[in-house]
Amino acid sequence: MAGAITEEERKAVVDFLNGKSAAKSKFYFQDFLQVFPDKKPREVKKVLTALIDDGTLEYWSSGSTTMYGLKGAGKQSHAEGEE
Amino acid sequence: MAKFETHMLDELESGPWPSFVSDIKQEAANRAANPKGLDYQLPSDTLDDLLGLLELSYKEKETHWKHGGIVGVFGYGGGVIGRYCDQPEMFPGVAAFHTMRVAQPSGKYYNTAFLRELCDIWDLRGSGLTNMHGSTGDIVLLGTQTPQLEEIFWQLTHDMKNDLGGSGSNLRTPAACLGMSRCEFACYNTQDMCYQLTMDYQDELHRPAFPYKFKFKFDGCPNGCVCAMARSDFAVVGTWKDDIKIDNEIVKAYVGQAIKPNAGAHAGRDWGPFDIEKEVIERCPSQCMKWDGQKLTIKTADCVRCMHCINTMPKALHIGDERGATILLGAKAPVVDGAQLGSVLVPFISCEEPYDEIKEVIEKIWDWWMEEGKNRERVGETMKRLSFQKLLEATEIEPQPCQVKHPRTNPFIFFKESEVPGGWTRDLAAYRQRHQR
Amino acid sequence: MTFISAGYDPKKPMEGRISDIGPHKYNQYFPPVIANNFGKWVYHEILEPGVLLHVAESGDKVYTVRVGGSRTMSITHIREICDIADKYCGGFVRWTTRNNIEFMCTDEATMKALRDDLNSRKFPGGSQKFPVGGTGACVCNMIHTQGWVHCHTPATDASGPVKCVMDALFEEFENMRMPAPVRVALACCINMCGAVHCSDIGLVGIHRKPPMIDHEWADQLCEIPLAVAACPTAAVRPTTVEFKGNKVKSIAIKDDRCMYCGNCYTMCPALPIADGEGDGIAIMIGGKVSNRITWPAFSKVVVAYIPNEPPRWPTLTKTVKHIVEVYAANARKYERVGDWANRIGWEEFFKLTGLPFTEQLIDDFREAAYYSWRQSTQFKF
Repeated sequence: MAGAITEEERKAVVDFLNGKSAAKSKFYFQDFLQVFPDKKPREVKKVLTALIDDGTLEYWSSGSTTMYGLKGAGKQSHAEGEE
Repeated sequence: MAKFETHMLDELESGPWPSFVSDIKQEAANRAANPKGLDYQLPSDTLDDLLGLLELSYKEKETHWKHGGIVGVFGYGGGVIGRYCDQPEMFPGVAAFHTMRVAQPSGKYYNTAFLRELCDIWDLRGSGLTNMHGSTGDIVLLGTQTPQLEEIFWQLTHDMKNDLGGSGSNLRTPAACLGMSRCEFACYNTQDMCYQLTMDYQDELHRPAFPYKFKFKFDGCPNGCVCAMARSDFAVVGTWKDDIKIDNEIVKAYVGQAIKPNAGAHAGRDWGPFDIEKEVIERCPSQCMKWDGQKLTIKTADCVRCMHCINTMPKALHIGDERGATILLGAKAPVVDGAQLGSVLVPFISCEEPYDEIKEVIEKIWDWWMEEGKNRERVGETMKRLSFQKLLEATEIEPQPCQVKHPRTNPFIFFKESEVPGGWTRDLAAYRQRHQR
Repeated sequence: MTFISAGYDPKKPMEGRISDIGPHKYNQYFPPVIANNFGKWVYHEILEPGVLLHVAESGDKVYTVRVGGSRTMSITHIREICDIADKYCGGFVRWTTRNNIEFMCTDEATMKALRDDLNSRKFPGGSQKFPVGGTGACVCNMIHTQGWVHCHTPATDASGPVKCVMDALFEEFENMRMPAPVRVALACCINMCGAVHCSDIGLVGIHRKPPMIDHEWADQLCEIPLAVAACPTAAVRPTTVEFKGNKVKSIAIKDDRCMYCGNCYTMCPALPIADGEGDGIAIMIGGKVSNRITWPAFSKVVVAYIPNEPPRWPTLTKTVKHIVEVYAANARKYERVGDWANRIGWEEFFKLTGLPFTEQLIDDFREAAYYSWRQSTQFKF
């Protein structure tokens, strides 16, 4: 479950995703570890979970794997007609 | 009258094995008749469209499904698999046809009240088609539309007090054999360990933060009915350390043909009289048994607990009393670097509640794998890439001969600097005093 | 249709939300005889095919009648199972990991009535609803994946071939005359969402053609870097192509690196992989999971390709049945398929079965290949 996160943490994730949005909109969990080089994976997870719970991020699942992206971003949400 | 002709599928209605086509047709007919007078939340001809679509696949020998990754229930990264049909105009009833995984009670025992309540939800809000069960062990609800996902989740959690299972880069829904509930071979309470760890790791199950999927399976003994060693990243397989318990009077009964060997598993064919030498003693992989005509003896130190003698004479032989489990790590299907079976990590671990010892191992592995694992790398592949030694280091487990088939066959040993006297910083000037250039 | 809300408010998804509650606790659904004798079972017997007797320290007995189930199952069918469980089993029932259904009762008369009732129920098309069997040295129920019923990357159907193979092996499901248990499984593509790599007989759907590239749609439907990253063999790369006089961003695939897994299609619907003529099934044999006598083992490919022949897959079923028959006629008691092949030697296996040994059966995939070649002069002519 989500705990509180700081504005800096939120901004770091959103900036990271916006910075890459020209290429792709979805990233694996491991990709976010580089956003927070000083944090342990479990702490990074807390940040991402909080951003899922407040609707900033959404999951994308291939069934076998799961990725994170900004809510509504990317081409597939249109293709799937689920926006 | 069926909506579509299904001449090819109809050929799967004959023959003795239960026909899934007949079953889908009976559900399609049920929905058409609507005996409960439900306001179906999916088109009532959904399954007619499914049959029509499947018939098309049978004609063309190609699937008509597309994957969809966005749909899910709020806050969960798994439990729902998005599916869309690539001929939605022809088959509008299955234009969207998502799957939901429902967490099953471990050991898959049910009462009919539970099953009926689940069927009622799925009758109203889904296609009426399920998998009992999916490969990982969940109850699979096969085919619903996006607006129903949250409603079904709401009813599951509020009315049935039951959660979804896992998918994606999560802990997947753990599964156990029926264990002590109905099996004399169970070396620990597989169902309870499965249940407790499932409850303790709900966050890992619903919110993905692993490089890839991670599966637990719990087998009560080395027979491996739930296939933990082949199908789970983290396999807990029951075992014991002390003597196999032998009742020699009953062994004599087997030898005297009074009891069918192997609980009667071979009764359908005349294999001749039971021959304890040929069928048990000679088959023992570690040759640890002797039969002198009166007494069966087992040298426990040589026994590798393969279960053959116990399986063959289950009334006479019983597992020992000093029970626990072996943990094997890293099994996976072949994609991409080839199939892997679990490798022995912890030869013996206590399986007493609340399973703190096991959880300690699990959490060390996760911390290591979350840190070191590459995207879409199963823990078995991380082990291969980084070495078994790194895994031992991360889990603080001692190296032991039982972890290998044999020691390494090359001398390319990566010694740590700390293992070599003086380290790797060497005195070149002193060397040159002993050796010219 | 009027939308019926269960109580969920899409504007406030967290309100009243219940999450992280897991499954129900397993022991709520134990029949009394199971609850009373938990951990106290002494021995078991298979009284007849599909009927087990377990005896507890207390002397309590539980009779189990096992029936084969189709994994793809309707709620009408489940409700019928519930009716049977209510009538004979105090309202309890369980499933096995191999899609079998087990009905339990505590006296022999009920067991017999239950068994006969189960065996008598048929679908209108003639197939049995609840065939009793699947115990001991038999061909047990197949585990399988979704296939054309619900999967986006299958190279074959699952439920259909399973139905055909189980029809062909039905007598062996209902009897116990195999040398050892025979576990058959089907995965509809090499990703094996249901793993079959350690089965006595594993049937695996295989594609044989790399995906097509829909240049017109690739950049519109897909995020190309995601498709590139999805490829396990680095066969997919981004490129720019001429399409109808325009330069468009698209994808290139190095065909000889493609292992036909379909992972790129999962990420990008402009890379369809299904091909009616290219797709089919490979047969792998000799795997096992049990530690009994020999170590667990992987299945090995003995038939590289059988075309999809819906609706009844005659070549597949004939080949599987033939392998089972040759095994049954030649293996020793307790010997699993792989143990038998190892004992007689694989050259003997191909001689006895008459299956052609083709170059596709020699491993050439990465490092493990070498360890499958023969580094000895010991072999049979």
